[in-house]
Parts: sequence; C-alpha cells; structure tokens
Amino acid sequence: MGAGVAITGIGIISAIGGNVSENYRSLISGKIGIDKITQIETVHKDEIMVGEIKDDNPTLEKRLKFLENQNSRTVLIGCIAAQEAVEQAGILDINDVRTGFISGTTVGGMDKSEQYFYDYFDRPEVRQHITGLHAGDSTKKIADHIGLKEGFVTTISTACSSAANAIMLGARMIKSRQLDRVIVGGTDSLSKFTINGFKTLMILSDTYNTPFDDNRKGLNLGEAAAYLVLESDAIVNKENKTVLGYLKGYGNANDAYHQTASSEHGDGAVLAMQKALEVAGMDPSEIDYVNAHGTATPNNDLSEGRALIRLFNGKVPEFSSTKAFTGHTLAAAGGVEAVYSILGLQNDVIFPNLNYKTQMKEFDISPVTKVKNKPLNTVLSNSFGFGGNCSTLIFSKAK
Amino acid sequence: MTQELFIASHCHISNNMVSLNGTTVHEQKGTDFVSFAKSAYKKFDIDYSKFFKMDNLSKLAFLAADLLLKDDNIKEKQNIALVFSNRAASLDTDRRHQESISKNDSYFPSPAVFVYTLPNICMGEISIKHKLHSENAFFIFEKFNAQYLHTYTESLILEKKAEKVLCGWTELDGEKYKAFLYVVGKSGIFTHSTHQITRLYQNK
Repeated sequence: MGAGVAITGIGIISAIGGNVSENYRSLISGKIGIDKITQIETVHKDEIMVGEIKDDNPTLEKRLKFLENQNSRTVLIGCIAAQEAVEQAGILDINDVRTGFISGTTVGGMDKSEQYFYDYFDRPEVRQHITGLHAGDSTKKIADHIGLKEGFVTTISTACSSAANAIMLGARMIKSRQLDRVIVGGTDSLSKFTINGFKTLMILSDTYNTPFDDNRKGLNLGEAAAYLVLESDAIVNKENKTVLGYLKGYGNANDAYHQTASSEHGDGAVLAMQKALEVAGMDPSEIDYVNAHGTATPNNDLSEGRALIRLFNGKVPEFSSTKAFTGHTLAAAGGVEAVYSILGLQNDVIFPNLNYKTQMKEFDISPVTKVKNKPLNTVLSNSFGFGGNCSTLIFSKAK
Repeated sequence: MTQELFIASHCHISNNMVSLNGTTVHEQKGTDFVSFAKSAYKKFDIDYSKFFKMDNLSKLAFLAADLLLKDDNIKEKQNIALVFSNRAASLDTDRRHQESISKNDSYFPSPAVFVYTLPNICMGEISIKHKLHSENAFFIFEKFNAQYLHTYTESLILEKKAEKVLCGWTELDGEKYKAFLYVVGKSGIFTHSTHQITRLYQNK
C-alpha cells in the first residue's frame, strides 16, 4: 500500500498554545485551556466554560502585521497556523510547484458578522465584516496570506469533521497527482452563533469537560486553527525533505441516524474506521493509539466507545480524548488532533484524557489518563460531525 | 474498461401528481403541497411518523425516493449513493427561518426549522429511513443538468464507490415543486445516457 502521503509541516494555535511547541508543552504538562469566556460578550458567560485562545484580536493582528479590525478571528488564527505549517515545511516559494489549500470551517466570519450585522447600511466602513461571513472568504484570505497565487483552493464545511475531510481531500489529490503539495486543516473561532446553537441543543457543560467519564455533562466549545503540509514523494525525494509522519489511511462514512446525534452503536464511526484501515492496508491490531473524538457529550462518548469495541473486536488499544485540554474546536478539531497525533508519533507519547474519574457503566474500556511514554508507530484519529458525517485518519511514524 | 449502465426506474412528483415509471400512481388536485404530500403518504402506506416533522423539500424528496427504494429489487443493505440537485436549494425553509427572526418583538427561531436550512438535509432523511451509509452529494444548478448528473453517477459506480445511484432533481419553492428521481445501476430498462435522462425528465 506504500508509505502514505508525507507530512512535512504542521502549525497550530489553540487554547493551550500559540504554536506547535507551546501546544506540546501543555499536552505533556497537563495544562488545560478551558476557562470562563472573556472575548465575547454573551448572556451565557456565567454558565459556560470555553477553550479560548488567550490572545485577543489586536494581539493577533500585531503578530500578523495586519490592519486593525479588518478580519474575522477565524482568518487571524487560520493565518497564524497555516504560516507556521508552511514555515516548518521549509517552503521558500509556495508557487514553485502545484500547491493547493483546503480549509475546513463552520463559522467563517460569523464572529464579526454578528457584531456588525445591524450596521451594514449606515457604516460602509464595517461592511467587509458582512461580506466576510461566508466560509470561503476565510479560506481565500488565508491562501492570500501564505502567498498562494494560483492553485486549487477550496473550503469544506461538514461540521466537526471539516478539517479531517480537508486533510482527506488533500491526500487524495496528492495521490492522484493533481497536486504536488497541499496545505490542509481547519479554522474556527468562537462566536455567539455556535455558543447559542450548542446551548439550544443542551450539550454544553457548565464546568470542565470530562471525556469518557460516566458523569460527563457535555462539551466545552473551543477555538483553534491547525494545518498540515502534505507533499508528494517526488518533492520529498527531490528536495530531501524532513518527513514528520505519514497520512496512511482515511475514511468517511454516513451514520444515517440523526441530524445532531450519533447512532447508538456508532455505525458510521465503525464504517469510517474500517474504510481508513482499508486505505492504509492495515489490520486493526496494528493501531497503537486512538485519539478519540471524545467530545464528552453523553451521546458521543457512548457511541464512539461502542464503535471502538466493535472495530477492535473487544481489544481496544490505548485511547484518549484531548478535548479536555482544548475544548471542542469544531471544524478545526480534525486538524488539531492530526497535529497532536503527529506529535505523539514523533515523541512516542500518549497525551492524557484529563478530568476522567468514573468508569462508564455501559462498557469496560477506559482512557489513558496520565502522560504515557510508549513507542508509537500508528495512530488513528476520529472526527465525527453533525449530519452523521464520520471521518477517520490514520497516521504513521516517519521512518 | 467501460461498463454499460442503465436507468432501472424513475419517479416524478409535480402538480399534485405522482408517477412511477411513466404511470400515474397518485393524484389529488386542488390542495396545497402539504395536504397533497400527506395524501401521498397515506396512499403509499408509509408508516414513518418522522415524515410529519420534515420540511417541504424533504417531504418531496422523501416521497419520490421512498417509491423507488421500496421496490423489491432494491435491498436495504445495498450500497446506493444519492446524487441530487435543484435550483432553489433550501430557500423555501430559509425564508421560514428568516421570518421567525426578522422582527425584534417576535423573535422566535425554531431549531426544528433551522435544521432544514440546507438542501442536503433531505438526503439525510432518506439515508436515515433506508439506512444508506453511502456517498451523497447535492448540487445547485441554474436548471436541470443531465450531463453533470450522468458524469458524476457513472464515476461513482465505475470507481466502485456505489453499486447503484439514486439521482435527479428535487426542487421546491412555495407551491412550485418538481421531483424527478431515477435509479441507475447495472441493469434496467433505459440506457443511462444524457439523452435518456433528459427525455425522462421532460416526460411526466
């Protein structure tokens, strides 16, 4: 089946750090990014906890040398993460080969649109915040920021599996030789729109989220951006590039159950994991660690846990959800967890599933709760979205 | 390697009339879409209470799909992809949602309406009913685009992403609606060609 698609760069900004190394340090030192919301004025501020990126917009704008208040926070954090990934890949001229950019987002410029919506007619100077609403606008602006002049640029919006699907599409385009290089991942800032939406669904926790715990109360929303650089073997060989890891397998399946809930026994999740293993040419027993979707909602963790038991025929490898650190970063989650999967492979470490206390009643599998050093060759990462959009990525160590 | 594909069955719903493979199977004149849809639901003995919470586009697509998929040649577990298209996307429901939030003094958005403000939700409803864990895509075109549907469907089957494809046009905006769905597979009555697709689309 070959080595897979080479990953030559990673970049991230999340509630637990403004770059890859800060994120890694937080993951191994157990530093949680969940707190009271500070940057959005919301009536729910006393009832919810969120994974907010600590820098405010002016700080991010300064870091990027951007004009003040011209862009959505989704664009700002996206630019920071994409830029880090491109820099790490040692790309000097991004237009020297056929390069693409595929970004997952659900909120796009909603954070600013909801702020300036009623000013549209009276204040022409804020209209860019309304025209910047749609998802593709953020993708275009990030593509411009990393200097992409021509090339395949697109947006994927499949709820919480968006970034995973962006990574999958990019890998397929490298494999089918439609692109030589592609920057893939996702970005989502917090917005009232998502806070209110998830509040309505009554799946927000009022305290720290506790994935796979019997007493889990729901998720904390988070914000993040994370991207990978995927490059063809031809480029890796020609330029003698350092490979961080490989994307070996990917799969996407339709749960066919409910708009906003997962099926009782994780049918879509099982199918997505099976497809990813098939693409990777692997047996379930070859997976060393699972970075679970693990949102800490009663529904997800039960459904996903059952799916893991089904897929691995009872012999579930070590698993954990890193959402206790970052919150659920929606469209970016697949990108964030891809970066964490690669960090795990590079450092032979399993990041802990924090806040876990009580064994779930429905089954007897339990997550890794402390930092654990273990040789890792293969990591499976799940991202499941509303609409039953289930995706799985399989990463392997660089040789 | 090419393999010839066929249109196995097709269904039309428009002007308060349902036809299956060219034969009118239900008609109820003089009522609005909601009552007409309910009459079709009763006529075809669809025992599925979730039908009544669907938006109108989903009801339309669901009825057409149900007639084709309950055909005994199509077993439940088969890998049937969905490739739908229309012009108005989910505008009909978008407007309903917009009305519920347009006035500050009567601001009552409903999650039950909001979830339908995407056209592909109708494919979700069909997937849920028929347990289709398969590929699906919804395209928005200015007008019916037989060429595009043909190419996409052929590629899904030839690349073994699906065994069969349920495809077509599901358009609804207010009281104007038209569904034309057809099943493509390795056997059937008509050759799967843009010419035949266009011809069937135009015939009632």
